[in-house]
Amino acid sequence: MVAAAVLVLLAGRLGWLLPGARRSLPAIVATVTLVALGIELWAGATLTTSFEGGLVQDRFALFAKAAVLLTATIAFAVVDWTAEDSVTIGLAMPLLATFGVMVAASAGDLVALWAGLEVAAGAAVVMVALRRPDLALRLLITGGLASALLLIGLAFLYASAGTSSLATMRAVLFSGAPTIALAIPVFLALSGLAVRAALAPFQLASIPASLGASPLGAGLVLGLVAAAAAIVAFKLVGVLTPIPAVYSTYLEVIAAFAMVGGGAAALASHSPRVRLAYLAAGQIGWVAAGFVTHYRSGLAGSLFLLGAFAVAATCGPAVMGRAEGGEHALAGMGVLRPARAAGLALAMLSLAGAPPLAGFFGEFAVAASLAQSGHFALLALGVLGAALSLAAVAGTLRVMYIQSPLDEARRTTRLPVVSGLSSFGVVAFCVVIAVYGIFSSPILGLADQGAEALGLR
Amino acid sequence: MIWQSIFAASPSPTPTVPGAGIFSTSLLLSITVWVPVVVAIAIATMPNPRGRYDTLMKQIAFFTTLGLMFVLGIAYNQFQSFLPTLQYEEKVPWLQAVGAVYHLGVDGPGMTMLILSGGIGIVSVLASLGIRERVRSYFCLLLLAQASVNGAIVARDMFVLILFWGAAAVPLALLILGWGGQRRHQAAWRLLGYWGLGTGALIVGTMVLYAAAGRGSFDMDVLLKATLSPRVQLAVGILMIVAAATRLPLFPLHGWARDAYSEAPVGVTVIVAGSASRLGGYLLLRTLVAAEPAAAHLLAPLLAAVAALTVGYGALIALRHHDIRQTSAYLALIPGGVTVLALAALQPLSIAGAVLSLFAGGLAAALIVSVSATLSERAQSRSLHVLAGLAPRMPILTWLMVIAGLAVLGVPLLATFTSDLLTFFGSFKTQPVGAFAVAAGLGLGAIALASLWRRVLFSAPNPDAPGVSDASLGETWYLGLLAGGLLWVGLFPSGPKLPGTDSPLFDQGLVNVLSAGISDIASPYVLPAPGASQ
Repeated sequence: MVAAAVLVLLAGRLGWLLPGARRSLPAIVATVTLVALGIELWAGATLTTSFEGGLVQDRFALFAKAAVLLTATIAFAVVDWTAEDSVTIGLAMPLLATFGVMVAASAGDLVALWAGLEVAAGAAVVMVALRRPDLALRLLITGGLASALLLIGLAFLYASAGTSSLATMRAVLFSGAPTIALAIPVFLALSGLAVRAALAPFQLASIPASLGASPLGAGLVLGLVAAAAAIVAFKLVGVLTPIPAVYSTYLEVIAAFAMVGGGAAALASHSPRVRLAYLAAGQIGWVAAGFVTHYRSGLAGSLFLLGAFAVAATCGPAVMGRAEGGEHALAGMGVLRPARAAGLALAMLSLAGAPPLAGFFGEFAVAASLAQSGHFALLALGVLGAALSLAAVAGTLRVMYIQSPLDEARRTTRLPVVSGLSSFGVVAFCVVIAVYGIFSSPILGLADQGAEALGLR
Repeated sequence: MIWQSIFAASPSPTPTVPGAGIFSTSLLLSITVWVPVVVAIAIATMPNPRGRYDTLMKQIAFFTTLGLMFVLGIAYNQFQSFLPTLQYEEKVPWLQAVGAVYHLGVDGPGMTMLILSGGIGIVSVLASLGIRERVRSYFCLLLLAQASVNGAIVARDMFVLILFWGAAAVPLALLILGWGGQRRHQAAWRLLGYWGLGTGALIVGTMVLYAAAGRGSFDMDVLLKATLSPRVQLAVGILMIVAAATRLPLFPLHGWARDAYSEAPVGVTVIVAGSASRLGGYLLLRTLVAAEPAAAHLLAPLLAAVAALTVGYGALIALRHHDIRQTSAYLALIPGGVTVLALAALQPLSIAGAVLSLFAGGLAAALIVSVSATLSERAQSRSLHVLAGLAPRMPILTWLMVIAGLAVLGVPLLATFTSDLLTFFGSFKTQPVGAFAVAAGLGLGAIALASLWRRVLFSAPNPDAPGVSDASLGETWYLGLLAGGLLWVGLFPSGPKLPGTDSPLFDQGLVNVLSAGISDIASPYVLPAPGASQ
């Protein structure tokens, strides 16, 4: 991933690319990530460790890496590259972010965990800076604060356990008790992660930044960086499950805020990009709700949902293309760009948890584990949030499919340019969102093994 | 792998009886659910330059619903009405990690609902043939709505039920938004809001059941047969009543009905009033009456009160309204109230009445709202101040309007009479106050209908009213089908017999079919015969 990213960057910087090659570069990079996905699925099933336990290849890593590689492949294919600021940077940064998520997913110690998240977040800052340096600065400052909180939390954890290895730390905590001294660093670390994941009410910078960025940049901020933060949270929760009291209440509150707040904010907004961002915030709240159960089935449900979330939240803005401003930008898209409109509709419906799409299956799996663990209040709030999100999506669907297209003279934003690759990408995206749930049995089985790999029973 | 297992799924074992197996497939119920979806996708992807193939799309939708009805007709004929077990069962492991199974099956009530949904599907497509704008989207959404309703009927796993129950709201709301009348936005948002609330209640209720049962399965065979404490049963029962009340609709959660019935295009009104809303009563039957006897006993007076309030409120408001479509919308609440009274009675007779009431009430509600919609279109006005003396100029619509009103009231020769009879015979024993109140509500409904007929049909014509015309052949067909269904079941509830014999001619009778499984559902409510314990 890093080599590919560097190669693409150098090729762009040094002018190695002929005009024809520049046009086919997205297809080449998408093929590279697809091959990487194939290799991951083929070779990733073997359990290995490297860098003296710094990186671990287990079922959790397999699931998360496969999900993020699939996401990247579809994102590269689906993007309208005429709406991006730079093809080479637009390809290189998501590759770096993918690499960061993969590092975090394989992390065996605190250092790799933190480094992976920071690489992904850094790539997102670069993407935003291409169009809106002011928002990139805001994202950088808020991200720095989040990073500081996370680092302080992780440092305290290291000090408490006397080791940076996640497996050893978990073994140490098994014999420990949930103390305030442990709850405070966990609170700080989870706060940092919540900011990174754009969890409501922490969307200080991620959501505004995603609104100003290019479509792929927005996808990177809303999808891949949030997924990276969620993966770090998975690893931390895996370590802390012997003492759930130190994080459960806090996670319950932020999950409830995210689920209901995301749905309500999506309903209140009239811009499709803003709506998509809040829908993503609502669904990442569901992922956080799964952590609260501190059971294997709950975390497996969350992991399964994270896969659906990563694809929909990263590719959704890319499918939407340029749609800055109000909803009228999408008027009649169902007639003018039927495949794109279908893709966007599926992305939004999946993020809202509409049956029978990927997001619904994930949220249902989380809801089932919330019921089993007796978190009925959180479950009811989640259902309320999903209902609000669905009502919000219905508004966008109405504009896309029922409103007549605007006259060209009145149209302020250009509709996405259709190319062979983007059409293929949209179809692939629709297929993934539609069949992820229907064929969820093996995927959920792998997610279950992933949760087991975190040490959960 | 899942598809492999779906195709390899075997039907539930049925005993060898003469005539069985002439038409049998392990995928029968899947066909009723997925064929409309596949056709909708095919229509959505068909090239249609400048609407050249709009007519073809309508024909495809029509023949799809007709074909489904043909398949359902054969399934109905092959249905073993003496077996209390599930038939045409399909069971395939699906989400093993959460315990969801792709489990479909029908018993007598399910088969009755499927026949209703199949018939309503044909009528809704026939009623939609006049659609000119965005034909592709309209028929895609209509087929998706029908698939969702069928799915919710045949689901035997709560996860699958939630999937289809929730999915039905989106296409119907979009149909109202896209093709509805002036107040379509309000109608669609209200429908989405109320149905969303109902879906939420269903999900939370299911989760409570799932957690309380502790078996890690959403299969109804497991979940609804688990032994639960009365407290849990009560919580689940209340949530299921909320879910059902938003759908049927019942007072006070009926807020969507007036706008949806009066603003939706006729074809959509038919499907909402005829089959989609009946799912509420069906849910109560499955999840409360059949599964939670303790909660059903405790909540029966509440249900009877809700039934009485719904019937009385619908009739009273119908008396005061001056818009024919809104008046009909309120009158269409009445059959749902009768269904709930039947369920509240908790008697074998009334439970059979409830199932028949779902069928007959669905047809009656669909007929009254669709005939009013057609009449107001043909008379170019909805106002009761304008519509007057239409009977001589609209003889066909007058007949149909009268039949619709009589069907809502449940007069002899119509299917609703049989269902009302079973309902009241059953409920006067156990819910006398509720039954009396519902009967009084029906009396009010009769007054409202008489007032409506007198003003609109049989008074002196209004010289200032716009020109009117009677129903076209197409409109007569779809309205006639609804009226014909009510008459057929009313005249032959047990099916027509060969003269001088007890052998069924070609229809084994809806009452016989629906009673398969009723004994099982009603078994907790049957009092032991005196001396049976000795």
